[in-house]
Amino acid sequence: MRKSWIPVGILWLSYSVLMMFAVANFSWLPAEWSEEAHVVDSAMLLLQYLGAPVMALVLAVMTWSVIGWRDKGATRQDGENIHGHRGIVTGWLIITSLLAIYVVINPGFVGLAEIRGEPSSDHVITLHGQQFAWSVEYENGATALDELVVPADARVRYDVMSADVLHSFWIPAFRIKIDAVPGLTTQAYATATREGSMNDDVNLRIQCAELCGPGHARMALPVRVVSEQEFLTYIDNLKAGG
Amino acid sequence: MTADTMHSEYHQDTAFQPRANRLGLWFFIMSECFLFGAFLSARYFTTGTFRPEELNQKLALAITIVLLASSISAYLAEASMAHNERKRFALWTTVTIGMAGIFLIGVAIELYEATLHYPPGTPYGSAYFMLIGLHAFHVITGMVGLFIVLFLGMRGRFGSDNYWGVEGVVKYWHFVDLAWVLIYPTLYLF
Amino acid sequence: MKYVARGLVLAVTGYLSGVALTVIINGNGATDELAVIAGYVLALIGWLAGVGGIEAFGRQWIGKTPKVSESQGWKRYFEFSIDHKVIGIQYGVTLISVLLIGGLSAMIMRIELASPGMGVVDLDDFNKIVSMHGILMVAVAVAGVIGAFGNYVIPIQIGAADMAFPRLNALAYWLLPPVAVGLLGAPFLGAFNAGWTSYAPLSVTNDSGQILFNLAIITFGLVSILGALNILVTVITMRAPGMTWGRLPIFTWAGFATSLLAFTVTQFFAAALVLVTMDRVAGTAFFSPDVGTGLLYEHIFWFYSHPAVYIMVLPGFGVILELVTTFARKPLFAYKAVVAALLSIVGLSVVVWAHHMFTSGMADFLHGPFMILTEAISIPTGIIFLSIIGTLWQGRLWFRTPLIVAFGWLFNFLIGGITGIFLADVATDIHLHDTYFVVAHFHYTIVGGAIFALLAATFYWFPKITGRMYNETAGRIFGIWVTLAFNATFIPLFWAGMNGMNRRVGDYPAAFEGANKFASVSALILGASFLLFVGNLLYSAIRGPKAGPNPWNARTLEWLVESPPSQHNFHSQPRIVGHPYDYGVEGSIHAHFPDEEPHAEEQREEVTV
Ligand code: HEA
Ligand code: HEA
Ligand code: CUA
Ligand SMILES: [Cu+2]
Repeated sequence: MRKSWIPVGILWLSYSVLMMFAVANFSWLPAEWSEEAHVVDSAMLLLQYLGAPVMALVLAVMTWSVIGWRDKGATRQDGENIHGHRGIVTGWLIITSLLAIYVVINPGFVGLAEIRGEPSSDHVITLHGQQFAWSVEYENGATALDELVVPADARVRYDVMSADVLHSFWIPAFRIKIDAVPGLTTQAYATATREGSMNDDVNLRIQCAELCGPGHARMALPVRVVSEQEFLTYIDNLKAGG
Repeated sequence: MTADTMHSEYHQDTAFQPRANRLGLWFFIMSECFLFGAFLSARYFTTGTFRPEELNQKLALAITIVLLASSISAYLAEASMAHNERKRFALWTTVTIGMAGIFLIGVAIELYEATLHYPPGTPYGSAYFMLIGLHAFHVITGMVGLFIVLFLGMRGRFGSDNYWGVEGVVKYWHFVDLAWVLIYPTLYLF
Repeated sequence: MKYVARGLVLAVTGYLSGVALTVIINGNGATDELAVIAGYVLALIGWLAGVGGIEAFGRQWIGKTPKVSESQGWKRYFEFSIDHKVIGIQYGVTLISVLLIGGLSAMIMRIELASPGMGVVDLDDFNKIVSMHGILMVAVAVAGVIGAFGNYVIPIQIGAADMAFPRLNALAYWLLPPVAVGLLGAPFLGAFNAGWTSYAPLSVTNDSGQILFNLAIITFGLVSILGALNILVTVITMRAPGMTWGRLPIFTWAGFATSLLAFTVTQFFAAALVLVTMDRVAGTAFFSPDVGTGLLYEHIFWFYSHPAVYIMVLPGFGVILELVTTFARKPLFAYKAVVAALLSIVGLSVVVWAHHMFTSGMADFLHGPFMILTEAISIPTGIIFLSIIGTLWQGRLWFRTPLIVAFGWLFNFLIGGITGIFLADVATDIHLHDTYFVVAHFHYTIVGGAIFALLAATFYWFPKITGRMYNETAGRIFGIWVTLAFNATFIPLFWAGMNGMNRRVGDYPAAFEGANKFASVSALILGASFLLFVGNLLYSAIRGPKAGPNPWNARTLEWLVESPPSQHNFHSQPRIVGHPYDYGVEGSIHAHFPDEEPHAEEQREEVTV
């Protein structure tokens, strides 16, 4: 009974370390262009760190099953008659519950507060979705169909509406998403952190993320982040031009 | 014991099969409750407790009373069969079916009036047509069941020791009644 | 075959007369949706009457004694047989065929997605194929293990001769072919392109194929509900003497828990689709953009469809636990805790549905509670994992194909579960929702959890069902192949999702090409593995060596009777005298047959070695 703890424990530790090393060194995450993106990415990293030991434990047991517990001589004899162990079950329950509670609090509520909390904003941009295009309406009434221009370092509230079916407003580089629901106005907030355009990163685009019909895949719109000054000139020109 | 006696032990065992049937029916009824629950919650979700002025309250109350009364006659039909009184069984079943028919006529009038005042294209109308329609469908299936047991009962299929068919249909009928007891206040009172 | 032919004739007649009737009354065309509904309903009734409903039920309603198929041999699989073993096989073969059709559609999708731009299909057809793939596969996952093995194994495991309602059982099965025909026939009416979720209002305004989707899925709901009800009543009333709740084999417990869930929530999918149907044909306005409330559909739908994912995976838990104890030669670790976990999953799974709606625009205050409850569900699921680990611990593992597939399951479901935690956290889900990360998550849980369990169960019970052994080498190769290929297919899709590729798109930015190409090639390799699977089973069912009653030295009742079991399963009523998983206890016995027949005696000796 006792002797399996040691190899499985070693395997567990080494798998955990390996996985955490991988998480720390090989990021799978795309570039961040907003404060919200940073919150989301930190949450994602934290979850990866927490998930590593859980995965490692199961993997360690699986590995040792093959190496240590295989019925090598094909004796087909029965194993030990262990029905359970109250202490282990209780301990497991407590640890997994704590883990779950922690995850709810830390990336959960903390992230939620940072992404969806605080209903204040410097600018409001309204997006109208319809099959299969977005139209952008700025606070001064100017509208655009070809791109979304966003000021950097300013908190923007996006009001999202739909004229026909469900769509979803998603800017992957900002990590924000909210559905466009016919009959409702939904809101999302984002603060862009640096200037750039879709030429720098494909994720600087609005992508419709709710299946809305044949044109769903191509219901996208480029996003350009500019300085707040440029933004104001842009919308003024837009208004004058339109 | 051979295989065959074992099989018949299960399926003709007079104690076993009614018990399983009864349990099955209760599960079925519970399952139906969830169906009605889905539609009832849809009504509150779409229209809150809004209710138009034009509802025909008197007619609704009248058919509610008729339907509730039909539950009593259905019960009497079952009790008659339990005492082997075939004639009274036939009488009470017919009365139940008759009341169900009256109920359905009332419902038809209501639906007609509804199309004038709150047609299906409005939120309340949608909820109204859906709930009334769903319930009417259950009333009709219940009536078909009652017809079948009436027919079988007249041909002498049931007796005081063997009337599961009657019991099942009557229990279902009580359920149809109960569903109305929830739908009526949902549509007319709240 | 005679009955199936009669069913087909009556179904076609029913369909035509339904359509004709509506056309005459309404004066609209034959593809008018009302006509399709009337046709479908009459076709369904005609089909059921034709395949044996007349004899099994109709005769009784006119006062005659009912009749059911009593044929033996191949014929009974095409008839209204009430033998739960025949019905189990009928489910199994039907659903594995559907799995292959669904898999074939996945292959088309992966070929299209191998590079950006449009190749083999256009954008709309792509969405239609995704929707078809999704719903066919969901049907397989919901009914696969429980329909095939639940029917076949549960009555034997509890020591019963059949289900509590054998005729109802047959009726439920015969409702299944119309579901498949309805879904696969939808392209004739323009198919459905709203995904398996069929969110309104898109599902109100799209092509008429949607109406067939709705009807088929409502029928499928009926299959689920009737099947679940039957299992519940069977387990409650038909356990053999001595089969207390504490001695119930774990697969039976899992089937019981699944059924509890299925018969209470399935109505909601039907209800949601009834509302959509009414909006389409009856002029109601539940989902119209100006009056309706867009979120109504999502709430009702997920109230079913979240629990549905547990309907898919709970029988899988049962299968894997059963396998692990058998092949580790050890008692199930923490049996009572596992049962408690199964039941608490049932309870919790009906209160977490809105975690699919974190970005739907529902009120923000709902995020918190649904996040908490969703995370809570990972705790009982963790107990299942603990039990598997504890059972493997210090076991004497016998690595036959079922255990190899079970190990694949363990790895896959672990990844699926942990990525579920990423989705359950609102902060991360806001980014990940409706991306390929979700696609990868649910393939890891559904394919990894439900389909792998189906595969493992197929290998495990194959010798019992056919009486013959599958080819072990081919089985092992398949087990390893399918696990590796599956992981190679879906790991890159996690990356694609995180990096900004959304789901249900036939075209995508060139930046995601690498991952997709890799996934597509792996998917084809994955698809090919199924040829080995099907080939092995077909060949072995006819040519395989005789397996004997108990090739695994297992202890539950189904292994104590001959393979395949006789018509009424047992030659004498078994009495249960001990726990089913007392491996390693000298002289312990699970069941005892008062009328011992010679072959039953032999087995008991083998078991207690
Ligand atoms: C069999 C199917 C199945 C199963 C079992 C699960 C299991 C889980 N799923 Fe998944 N899910 C789907 C099928 C499934 N899912 C499908 C089909 C969709 C998409 C539908 C669509 O949109 O088309 C989906 C989508 C989906 C979403 C919505 C994503 C989105 O669209 O934005 C979410 C969000 O919360 C989620 C969460 C979870 C969680 C938390 C679990 C948990 O139950 C997992 C629990 C398991 C573990 C956690 C691992 C084992 C536990 C331990 C080793 C203990 C220690 C661990 C901890 C304490 C954390 N799933
Ligand atoms: C049980 C459930 C299940 C299963 C098993 C699968 C299996 C597979 N799925 Fe699917 N999938 C879903 C359930 C499932 N899926 C759901 C619910 C969706 C969401 C739909 C929606 O968005 O609405 C989805 C969506 C989905 C997508 C996303 C589409 C999109 O959003 O644009 C993709 C993309 O890669 C995909 C791929 C695959 C692949 C490669 C397999 C492979 O595992 C398939 C393996 C292959 C086979 C099983 C068959 C092989 C057969 C042959 C090669 C021929 C042999 C033929 C004969 C002998 C006749 N699936
Ligand atoms: Cu708009 Cu998808
Ligand atoms: Cu869910």
